[in-house]
Amino acid sequence: MTSITPPPQVRPNRGYGRWTPFWFLAPAVFTLFIIGIYPTIFALVTSFRRYNIARPRDGFPFVGLENYTSVLTDGTFWASLFLTGQFYVTVLPIEIALGLVIALLLHKPGMGFLKSLARVTLVVPLATTYAVVGLIGRLIFNRDFGVANWFLDLFGIGALDWLGSQTGAFAAIVIMDIWQWTPFCALIFLAGLSMVPGEIEEAARLETSSKWAMLKHVQLPYLMPGLTALLILRSADVLKLFDMVFVMTRGGPGSATDLVSVYIQRVGFRVFDLGTASAQAILLLIITILISRLYIRVLYKEVN
Amino acid sequence: MTFLQLDNIKKTFGELSVIKGVNISASKGEFVVFVGPSGCGKSTLLRMIAGLEDVSSGTLSIDGKVVTYEEPAKREVSMVFQSYALYPHMSVFENMAFGLRMAKLPEDEIKRRVSEAARILQIEALLERKPRALSGGQRQRVAIGRSIVRNPKIFLFDEPLSNLDAELRSQMRVEIAKLHRKLGATMVYVTHDQVEAMTLADRIVVLRAGLVEQIGSPTDLYDRPANTFVAGFIGSPKMNFLTAKVSGADASSLQLEHPAFEGGTLSLAQGSASKVRPGDTLTVGLRPEHLDVASATPLLRLTADFAENLGGSTQIYARTGDETVIILANGRPELHSGGPITAGIDPRHIYLFTLDGLAL
Repeated sequence: MTSITPPPQVRPNRGYGRWTPFWFLAPAVFTLFIIGIYPTIFALVTSFRRYNIARPRDGFPFVGLENYTSVLTDGTFWASLFLTGQFYVTVLPIEIALGLVIALLLHKPGMGFLKSLARVTLVVPLATTYAVVGLIGRLIFNRDFGVANWFLDLFGIGALDWLGSQTGAFAAIVIMDIWQWTPFCALIFLAGLSMVPGEIEEAARLETSSKWAMLKHVQLPYLMPGLTALLILRSADVLKLFDMVFVMTRGGPGSATDLVSVYIQRVGFRVFDLGTASAQAILLLIITILISRLYIRVLYKEVN
Repeated sequence: MTFLQLDNIKKTFGELSVIKGVNISASKGEFVVFVGPSGCGKSTLLRMIAGLEDVSSGTLSIDGKVVTYEEPAKREVSMVFQSYALYPHMSVFENMAFGLRMAKLPEDEIKRRVSEAARILQIEALLERKPRALSGGQRQRVAIGRSIVRNPKIFLFDEPLSNLDAELRSQMRVEIAKLHRKLGATMVYVTHDQVEAMTLADRIVVLRAGLVEQIGSPTDLYDRPANTFVAGFIGSPKMNFLTAKVSGADASSLQLEHPAFEGGTLSLAQGSASKVRPGDTLTVGLRPEHLDVASATPLLRLTADFAENLGGSTQIYARTGDETVIILANGRPELHSGGPITAGIDPRHIYLFTLDGLAL
């Protein structure tokens, strides 16, 4: 038997050491750690302890699942979660439908300049901070000089106290969320529509003149990956939606706009019960992950 | 009877005129090929027949019905695209059934038609597959199958073979020809490949820069090209052109002068010689395959430049002054670069054109 000597290991001189890539990644990882990973771990730990910063003498004792049981038996928590669910099923279908209509309009050939102008304006609501959206909302829905009431007046409808009434306030945050997020849906769908190869659309045009059939059988498969991403992003976003609502209504009047993250904020920073607030936040995280997994499993399919 | 009629069809994109008034008619069951260099408007013309491109002016009728502004789906035509354009998320069966589903045919009729087309194209084993799991040739068959099942009035093909390798291309070419014979359907086929045009067509339409140069059977175009463009486009290798001076012409004969001619002049018995006068310049067209290097009575005296061995034949590049003459010779004749070479030709195979390029 002949023995084969392995060729000597020649290390190419790459001009950088083994640890160099690590240092390039380090700032990003470090930042992520500070603002993402550490707070999550801290919340997870806190959720199993009693931690009320208004009562420092109580310390930081381990209480097992006590926080979780108190959250799960808390009617207000369930009510706010249910309200968030209502908000979610109200805004999302409208945003998706409107976004799709806008995308289809922008996808039609012709009127090049106007269309690129429209595409640019779509980015404006996206570039607006939630808190500012809330401020704009307060102006729009102001009872005395808001543009919403001015608009109603055109149709002869009397002034509504939007932010002062239960349904009015809920409608107002719904409308502002739709205003902010419909353009995002439109952009995602527009990207999907432009993925459909021209010849495939043409092949379909030779076989059917129905725009609906074209959308359903030819374009929709290309929209699904975008739709999945959109649903996941929007789910996470709605569950943590805080700033806009807080600025506009502070969760009121009563509990009309008391979405779950507004409630958690109150528990954490008004009552200072960080243990309970952490347990609520962790439950919210679990719900988000479950919804995302569900969407990926049910909807996500690559066309090619 | 005219089945497909294009009447003074024009197409403009803004200021740019792409199709400048085209008249074509085809009868039922005919195989018409649009051929021309890229940018000649052949694909645009086909897409206008399909309805995928708006007609700027003119009328288009199919089976006696004016469809100039009719929607594509209502024209009852089907098209095979260059990229096949199969629906990637549907199985082969679904791809072929889609149009029938849209036409709301009963399910058992759909099954019957799809399996019939699959049988003809030998893709029965592939019906459950997705397009991505198919080879180029198989995709091509599915694309053809998708157009067969609809039983259209006209089949349109937009360079369907250009994405296939050479061997598969000639194989599919034969199959399309067989399919045409079997179905007896009217087909319009666009290609830039003159071999496809010659082998498939009942009639060829040669297009250049948005205008029809000549319409005729493959033999017509080969034997009697209307001008130097058609003469150069049809036939491979392309026709040689020599610029010669008329030294004498009477009612029945014509004398031409060119340094390459044996003895400096060429005498032809030409009936139409009366149109030209001594002193005129003519273009002489000689097909490479008609030139014979072994001829005992040579008409051309040239300088050999280069030879390509094609195995059974040799393609010889010869020079005379600034002009190059290509000769397709049988076998492998002995040649020396820079050495003299002679070639004969049957005078019936000499084409004459005026200086404007029109056939004499």
